[in-house]
Amino acid sequence: MNPLPFLSRREALLRTGGGFGWLACAALLDRTGWRADAAPSNPLAPRKPPLPARAKSVIWIFANGGPSQVDTWDYKPELQKRDGQTLEGFDPKTGFFPGQVGALMKSPFEWAQHGASGTWGSDLFPHLCKHVDKMSFIHSCWTGSNNHSPALFMMNTGITRMGAPCVGSWVTYGLGSEAESLPSFVVMSDPLNRGLPKGSAQNWGAGFLPSVYQGTWLKPSGEPIENLKPAADQAGDAQRAQLDLLARLNRRALAQSPIESELSARIESFELAYRMQTAAPEAFAVASEPEHIKQAYGLDQKHCAHFAAQCLTARRMVERGVRFVQIYSGGMENQQSWDGHRDIAGNHRGFALEADQPVAALLADLEQRGMLKDTLVVWAGEFGRTPVAQKADKPGRDHNPHAFTVWMAGGGVKGGFHYGSSDEVGYKAADNKVHVRDFHATLLALLGIDHEKLTYRFQGLDQRLTGVESAHIVRDIMA
Amino acid sequence: MRGFPFHAFILNLSTMAPLRAVPPLSPRILASRIGAAILSCALLAAPAAFAAEGPAAAVPPDHAERMRAGLDTFDKEVRGILSEHCLKCHGGEKKKGDFDLALRESLLRGGADGVSVVPFHPDQSRLLKMLRHEEEPYMPEKKPRLPDAVIDRIATWISQGAPYSAPLVAGKKPERDRSQVSEDDRQWWSFQPLAKAEPPAGPQSHAIDRFLLAKAKAAGAALELAPQADRRTLIRRATLDLTGLPPTPEEVEKFVADSAPDAWPRLIDDLLSRPAYGERWARHWMDVARYGESSGFEQDYDRTGSYHYRDFLIQAFNADMPFHDFVRWQVAGDEFEPGNPRALAATAFLTLGVFPTQITVNELERVRYEDMDDMLSTTGAAFLGLTVGCARCHDHKFDPIPTRDYYRMLSTFTGTVRSEIDIDLYPEETARQKAAWKAGMDQILAEKSAAEEALRKSLARFLEKDLATFPAPQAWSVWTPSQPKSSGGAKLTAQPDGSFLASAAPQAPADSYTFSGPVPLGPVSGLRLEALPDPSLPKNGPGRGNKGQFQLTRITAKLRDAEGRSIDVPLVKAVADAKDNSSVESALTGKPGWKVEASAGRANTAVFTFGEPVPARPDTTLEVTLEFAGGAKEAVGRARLSLMVGGDPSLTAATVDARVLEMLQARRQPASTKEREALENWWFTRDAGWQKTEAKRLASVKAEPTGLLKVLVGSESYPAVKYHTAGGAVETYKETYVLKRGNVALKGEVAEPGFLQVLSRAPENRWAWKPPEGAKYAGRRRQLAQWILDDKDGAGALAARVFVNRLWQHHFGQGIVPTPNDFGRTGTLPTQPELLDWLAAELLKNGGSVKAMHRLLMTSAAYQQAAVKDQSKLAADPNNGLFLRRAPARLEAEAVRDSMLAVAGLLEPKLYGPPVQDEKSSRRSVYLRIKRSQLPATMVSFDQPEPLASQGQRPTTTVAPQALVLMNSAMARTCAQSLAKRIAQTPDAAEAADEPLRRAYAVTLGRPPDADELSAGIEFLRAARSRHSASGTAADSAALVEFCQVLLSLNEFAYLP
Repeated sequence: MNPLPFLSRREALLRTGGGFGWLACAALLDRTGWRADAAPSNPLAPRKPPLPARAKSVIWIFANGGPSQVDTWDYKPELQKRDGQTLEGFDPKTGFFPGQVGALMKSPFEWAQHGASGTWGSDLFPHLCKHVDKMSFIHSCWTGSNNHSPALFMMNTGITRMGAPCVGSWVTYGLGSEAESLPSFVVMSDPLNRGLPKGSAQNWGAGFLPSVYQGTWLKPSGEPIENLKPAADQAGDAQRAQLDLLARLNRRALAQSPIESELSARIESFELAYRMQTAAPEAFAVASEPEHIKQAYGLDQKHCAHFAAQCLTARRMVERGVRFVQIYSGGMENQQSWDGHRDIAGNHRGFALEADQPVAALLADLEQRGMLKDTLVVWAGEFGRTPVAQKADKPGRDHNPHAFTVWMAGGGVKGGFHYGSSDEVGYKAADNKVHVRDFHATLLALLGIDHEKLTYRFQGLDQRLTGVESAHIVRDIMA
Repeated sequence: MRGFPFHAFILNLSTMAPLRAVPPLSPRILASRIGAAILSCALLAAPAAFAAEGPAAAVPPDHAERMRAGLDTFDKEVRGILSEHCLKCHGGEKKKGDFDLALRESLLRGGADGVSVVPFHPDQSRLLKMLRHEEEPYMPEKKPRLPDAVIDRIATWISQGAPYSAPLVAGKKPERDRSQVSEDDRQWWSFQPLAKAEPPAGPQSHAIDRFLLAKAKAAGAALELAPQADRRTLIRRATLDLTGLPPTPEEVEKFVADSAPDAWPRLIDDLLSRPAYGERWARHWMDVARYGESSGFEQDYDRTGSYHYRDFLIQAFNADMPFHDFVRWQVAGDEFEPGNPRALAATAFLTLGVFPTQITVNELERVRYEDMDDMLSTTGAAFLGLTVGCARCHDHKFDPIPTRDYYRMLSTFTGTVRSEIDIDLYPEETARQKAAWKAGMDQILAEKSAAEEALRKSLARFLEKDLATFPAPQAWSVWTPSQPKSSGGAKLTAQPDGSFLASAAPQAPADSYTFSGPVPLGPVSGLRLEALPDPSLPKNGPGRGNKGQFQLTRITAKLRDAEGRSIDVPLVKAVADAKDNSSVESALTGKPGWKVEASAGRANTAVFTFGEPVPARPDTTLEVTLEFAGGAKEAVGRARLSLMVGGDPSLTAATVDARVLEMLQARRQPASTKEREALENWWFTRDAGWQKTEAKRLASVKAEPTGLLKVLVGSESYPAVKYHTAGGAVETYKETYVLKRGNVALKGEVAEPGFLQVLSRAPENRWAWKPPEGAKYAGRRRQLAQWILDDKDGAGALAARVFVNRLWQHHFGQGIVPTPNDFGRTGTLPTQPELLDWLAAELLKNGGSVKAMHRLLMTSAAYQQAAVKDQSKLAADPNNGLFLRRAPARLEAEAVRDSMLAVAGLLEPKLYGPPVQDEKSSRRSVYLRIKRSQLPATMVSFDQPEPLASQGQRPTTTVAPQALVLMNSAMARTCAQSLAKRIAQTPDAAEAADEPLRRAYAVTLGRPPDADELSAGIEFLRAARSRHSASGTAADSAALVEFCQVLLSLNEFAYLP
């Protein structure tokens, strides 16, 4: 392939333009469909982050439905004390059911301090509590909607409406992927038929970014990825022979083509596809892991085997260079997810039981492999829950956009660290409030990306994940 | 139309102050001011800083004195305080919250949250509250609160009028006020009227070529057009370009052999006349229109009426609908052509966007504004190439679109909602169908009356000879009790079929219906209750519950004698036909009773057996009570009771008219015409032949064509589609307000409909239009369309440029403006603005004929250039802005798939209709269902964009999943197999072994293979055959399939040459 003037101009841009400027620029040029023989510009080619990166990959455990901060990681002694009292100033329209607002309700779980950091954790997470010294907690998160799908879109795409690219798409657009034979961005949803998160595939959609950046949803049953297997009637090495012929025919007159490099890239894409056919199933082969690993994740335990398999898959993916993995804990809503409108005790107990051991094992496994320093593990849902009860036979808690807790581990964050706080009963974020866009900016910063510079021109604007309002990076959590 | 307070917008420069309504001037004054205002807005901009002080901010009499003192405070203290604590984030390095205090002007203008400093009025200055931590956000952000003494100095300074001696940042000038549109703004190239450019002179015969070469010369590039492509390439290019399908080998050979000078234009005309042309070009516009067939968001419900919009597009392109109508119909088809259902269907353009289906009360208004924003943004991008939506939260940062213009344009859609209505889109077709139906029906009726004539004769014989010995039939007969009573207050109205229909909505917690009447014939062995559907009931009934359900908790019967004494008549057995009939037995004794939930709109029947037969006696009355413990919401909506005379009260027993039963039982002749008719009917129904004819008649009645289709529209005239909305929703609001930061909680004045000032060169009443008396539409959308199309004083020049640029883009690979949806300052400038203007003028001149534009573009030598590698051109014009070279382009997702199906001989030519869900379908890709949560995987993998916002151009990526589709998908395999069969058919057994290969090349690529390709193919087939264990023809055909799949995967096959 000849280095063409335009190509070298691009390369010059890359060298002199400080990396990320080039990113936007390259994508723009691609979009405008220039007929110059541009660089093959594999849109997923790995790109060096423009700023020093703490993390290379992300595994996001999405606690779908909105886990209750005051029952998981945000211990509120005051709430325990004021159980049964009315919360003055509580807006009944905070949640979804204005007519079912009850009194303050203490957490039904036992709390204790853990680790050298003395982090308070509820007994929902006996396994994860052993790892609190790896985690940075943000207790002062807040978001803009009290309804699942807008809040999910907010958490995933930065706006409450449909149509914007999700975090994983932005990250792979920015950084490409090290995993040439695997999708760059992988999503796993509930495999127990409890549904997809509200808004389904839009939560991992590429929005206005090229569709190549959308998340690849691994089907919970059957072949996880479409078209990975040659047809049954393709005998022996028939496909290899086909590809050899294809390459031979495609290469003819290639040098005379004005789009030589684009066509070469297409020839290469078949070879890559051929390699993916073996590489991808190998990456999914959780069963090939040693017994002690499988046991550690809980693959042998009925209550968490499905989540264990997903966490283990996530590790195998990241190990092979996948950039971004998202696993949804829980199905669609209500009792099918962390959306504990009624029986918060039973609801949270159930979903914690599914996730606790596998996620804890994931942290330990990443650490012992030396991968945790490069892998950011995130635990977050789309909003929190009210400190007051939602009235029911067995009371629950309603949606609460004003406060929730997320934690991150590995990937260059401090361990056993707590940032921000909610008010004394955990109703609203109080100190050092962190909006979802701040959370996004922080996540990008950990990956070495300036959230203001990761842009894509659409509808006349250089769009970005964090939108037009200014976002703050929570630098305090960085190690 | 009421006068827009257009002047107000210009005069009221205080948009930086909290917005306030401005009383409209009288029309007379208005008229006299508008013209001047437009021209003088730049001058008027000057007093902005003063106007910003707002109405409440009275200037004290001693203001001059205070200001003087204030300057001292500023220089000695406040300058330092602001510079140290505030400036970095607000005007120094950053401008957080859009608040800049480096200058007095910008300080007073305020930030995104509004004004925070009111000169002379510290008590009204929110800044102080933020400093004192009385109001969020606390300032300085994330820093300790400033000492009281410091805050007091700022308060003093504000009370002194907050004067500055100099900007805090040396040399900083006030930013221009983007709420104003200046004459400068109008100078932007795309806002200008069309230049009256004549094509330059030159030796080339085609005007486009002369334009291009003149531009190249002017640019100092001594470049020529590339030579003309060979004829095989030309026909392949034109056919794929216009129809999205490859040419057949016959078409190729015919064109190659056609040396007539007009062969090329004839080919273009032929291609334009094919229905496939509309299918291809409709799909281009579907990207622009963010076309999808579901609602998106939570449930992503199907919008079954969407596809008529797609069909409208296909029809519009195929019929060469003029550009003007194309715009008019989509924006306001109902207002331009009120009697034309297809013009109404085109308005779906406005409502194709996503819409949430689960909304909390808090979100209702925001969601409504977002829906209108989607209509406006899409209209702006599609027709004007402008990112109008950017002005939603703030004055457009780049284009002269003030927020107020945005909301005035937004208010065009104040009443426009998304509706799905039943209309006849194709009345001519319906009339044809109706005529055919009537002919069929007439024949059935003739058959029927002939049969009845014969049966009347046999009935006469029966009455004469057999009546005396005929055994009385055992059958149900409809019981006609007197007016039944409802204990809960329901109104029960007798229906012609003997049933009673419940209405009125009583609040009583329980209800029961009591029917009473004589028993005309006996002995009665059982009772039948039919719960019948009715259109007046929820979900058509049969129950009164909101889902059409009912629950009969108990049924009882008693007999009453003439003295009023009664005895219970026990019911001992109950059977129902609904699938949940197990519960019907419990209706004999009480709860839960007969519960029917899942059969909305269907009749449900239960039969009950009396413990002992009830005799027919003139002095007794039968009383039947139906109890509904759940009240009206659990009651049967339409009930009919029947009695079984003699026989077994089964569900399957026949029903006979009570009068007939009586006559047969009494063995008497009919005594009246009515009785005779009843008897005849009974006699007819006993005849199998008659039954058959009657069944045909009933089926035909049901099949009467109505032509009604469920159609998605966008208008003010029909109820909006409803979703799960918490707490009884209002879908529309009477007024649209100017919102601050796009926030529905921050309402300013009411936005009167209006247009973009920068594209309005006449008073806005130029585009006024009043809907006729009684019309439900507001006329606003028609006004908008009139303005969009006014190429003299409105946006018409821009609209024409945007449209021809899209045509050019699809023919030449990129637009003359490479950003087709952005002709504003953030877009890319055209390299050939004169050519673009000339083309736009041609479009207008030819009456908006799109097909004429295709001919014009494609007959240029520029279009026909060969795609050759030319390093010198690449160096001189790397972006190909001069269009003096061509390169092959990857076909779009749809064309890739359609081409495969076409060469495989599988493509189904059927046009139009509901979308197909299965990607394995052999319909064209334009018909694949676009459900937003389950987009067609193959389409997405080949870069079909997500249908969420208008997309003017597609990215082209080359990634492995595309290769996997071609290698492993069922679709690719099926096509390869079918293609292999097609080419393997050997009419001549003696043909050369390489003949199938030659045919394969002709079919897929429209050319013969060269020697090298041929030998590679033969070699491959030989090896492939030997790989297969099977021998003979099975191995031959398997090898051929593998070979065909390779051809379908070739670069050459997937690229527009």
